[in-house]
Amino acid sequence: MDKSRQVIVMFWITHIGLIFFLYPTEIIGSLTAGHWCAVLLGFLIHISMLAVYTKGLSQCAPLNVIDLFQGVGRVFAFAMLLPLAIYFIMIMIITIRAYAEIVTVIFLGNTPLWTIMLLFLAVSTFICLLGIESIFRTGMLVALLFFPFLILVVVLSFQNTDWHYMLPLMDRDAATFAYTLRRPFLKSLFAFVGGFLFLGFIPPHIPFQGRKIVLASLGLIPFFLVSVYVPLLTFGENTASKFPFPFIMAVDTVDVSWLMFDRVTMFFMISMLCFVILFLSLGMWVTLLMIKRGIPVLKDPTACLLLAAVVYSVCLLVPNWSAVERLMWWNTLPRYYAAFIIPLAVFALGARRRRMEAVRP
Amino acid sequence: MKLPAFLESRQAKDSDLFLHSLFLAGESVYLAGYTSLIDLPQSIVMLRQLALNAAGAGKALFDRDSGVGTPMREPSEQEVLDALAAGDALICSQSGDRCLRLIPVGRTLSRALESPTTENVLRGAISAFNEDLDTNVGLIKKHLPSDTLRIRSYSLGQSQRRKTVLLYAEGKIREQLLQSIVQKLETLPDVDIPDLQALSDFFGFPKWALITRYNTSELPQEAAFALEHGKAVLLLDRFPFALVLPSLLSDMFVSQNDRNFPAIIMFSFRLLRVLGVLVNVLLPGLYVALVSVNPEVLRIEIALSIAGSREGVPYPALVETLLLLLILELTLESAIRLPTTIGPTITMVGGIILGQAVVQAKLVSNVLIIILAASTIANFTVIGFQNATALRLGKYLLLVLSAMFGVLGLFVGIVVICAYIGHVNTFGVPYLSRWKAGRRYG
Repeated sequence: MDKSRQVIVMFWITHIGLIFFLYPTEIIGSLTAGHWCAVLLGFLIHISMLAVYTKGLSQCAPLNVIDLFQGVGRVFAFAMLLPLAIYFIMIMIITIRAYAEIVTVIFLGNTPLWTIMLLFLAVSTFICLLGIESIFRTGMLVALLFFPFLILVVVLSFQNTDWHYMLPLMDRDAATFAYTLRRPFLKSLFAFVGGFLFLGFIPPHIPFQGRKIVLASLGLIPFFLVSVYVPLLTFGENTASKFPFPFIMAVDTVDVSWLMFDRVTMFFMISMLCFVILFLSLGMWVTLLMIKRGIPVLKDPTACLLLAAVVYSVCLLVPNWSAVERLMWWNTLPRYYAAFIIPLAVFALGARRRRMEAVRP
Repeated sequence: MKLPAFLESRQAKDSDLFLHSLFLAGESVYLAGYTSLIDLPQSIVMLRQLALNAAGAGKALFDRDSGVGTPMREPSEQEVLDALAAGDALICSQSGDRCLRLIPVGRTLSRALESPTTENVLRGAISAFNEDLDTNVGLIKKHLPSDTLRIRSYSLGQSQRRKTVLLYAEGKIREQLLQSIVQKLETLPDVDIPDLQALSDFFGFPKWALITRYNTSELPQEAAFALEHGKAVLLLDRFPFALVLPSLLSDMFVSQNDRNFPAIIMFSFRLLRVLGVLVNVLLPGLYVALVSVNPEVLRIEIALSIAGSREGVPYPALVETLLLLLILELTLESAIRLPTTIGPTITMVGGIILGQAVVQAKLVSNVLIIILAASTIANFTVIGFQNATALRLGKYLLLVLSAMFGVLGLFVGIVVICAYIGHVNTFGVPYLSRWKAGRRYG
């Protein structure tokens, strides 16, 4: 039975959770005009890597990435997966720390940081312990509950836009792709990369079709564009680039007279945070899969709690926002590894397998 | 074993046991049974008729094919006691070497068919299950006159034999589900099954689950509907509810009765129930979150009016909410136990306490009373009392999280609850499945 729908919903959730907070900051910071060009370029990278990855996965169908790499050799698997595990752990640390900071900045000023990080981590550990099928089902239910909110707020966020800010559509900078090597753009790719690697770890009893996932990822384009263009159209490029979280600021300007709530954004942001929690539990599940394979002594609840403890203690050691940014920058290299090397390796191994199977009979 | 002697010794311990000597077909025999279960005069009339018939056909009374009863050959004490406890009568010869077990005219120990007491029906069949197992099976058969209906009966427990009947529709039920249930039932446990908790232990469901793995219903038509949709129904003797396996989230919102209304009304009912669940679970938490942690989310006018209504209330919003919730829960619990004659009095007193008086005494705010009243009313929009109670617990989690983290805590609590119900499954069928007969969803 095809469970593509669950996988697609989870895929959307993980990406949408990542898009709206940091992504617009980086894109607006990386160039002054023609932002759509940067968004679409990033998306192009995303979808091509996704296509390569899912193609490779479908060619070696019942195997997941770990089995696939282990088929080549233990050392090879270890060498390939160690950076990936590090990348996932890094991304968990960064996400928890960054989102906890965002929460304190935006709406829980008096709550200590460690309690919020503990909340995120405890909930995602709990969900992770319930297993991958529960994660997917939770994703479906959470999406069903929160998506209406999300769509409503996205629609409302256009209230104060001035479409003249759209211009100029292009300048020399954007046209020559000079921005591609700038730090903010390189960092912005995190929103495209982190979310799809989990596809390779889904066990065979949750079958999905790669083609459907690739098609479904097209549905994310509007969200990427909205997250960048709503602040641009509301404030203009100059002002928008000054804000730490431009999209949130833009939504904060929305005033809906028929609603009893003053800050609709709060509900929007919190739905995002819930998506992020699901993303975290998914990431944790993937990491645990690798850890348990690497160190077979570790069994489930212990391994999970141990990982959570490590992540939490590192999170506590991160002193401030600039340290978070530094961590994000350091994570760029593992990110490129995860984004390019892993899908390409999977594709190559898949092709090899296909060839061998064609020769054998 | 000398049967008459054994029965006499037994009679000394159990005065309910009668040992009646009489002549049947020219033979002097003992008739034994429980007075409380057997209608003696009627049974004797029936016996005489049977004995006459046997004599007319030229059969001896204790013959296998005399048509009076089933001969028991050298029964053990336990067999005799089991037969008596099951409500059967025994006939044994004066010498005690031959014995028959037969079904006598029993006393009526069940209520008549009545309308349901916990599930009201607006449109649809009003008869409900009662304590008699055979009546219940019959009711389901009446509601599902189909040749696909299969019935298997089991007798569970060691010291108390409890008759249990499993019903399913052949070809509709998922084979895997049926196999797991049958496999479990056929292990015939040594433990007694006095209640649903024991049954749930026997099925291997987790002990501390919030959500019951079987949906209970008092209505034969609901059970028949479930059967037709490929679920399994379990009936226990002396238990006036059908247990429907597996239980699904949709059981909270979807009832067969809705289908007796036009489709659009049916959908609005279901939507209303979903809203009811959300209101019940979210409102108390939302109040605490908005009042104590994130007042800036509210429009300034509303924030001020709520703050105004809380003026003079000496404790934090969480304590205020918990206090009033406690009183509400107490009212709900006591209402179950109240004799119907006193009920209205308590309702009135409760109404006054929970109404104006508690506000005027500045113990809780006006708004909170509105919110908790709405939440409690909303609680009972869901179908099935067991579902309503599960919801009642869920809101406390949200309440505590909201008091700590405000709106964030509320939403994270929702995610936790979603994850929990995403995790629950019955015999491998997830609680969140969308169920269609013959089709399976994940």
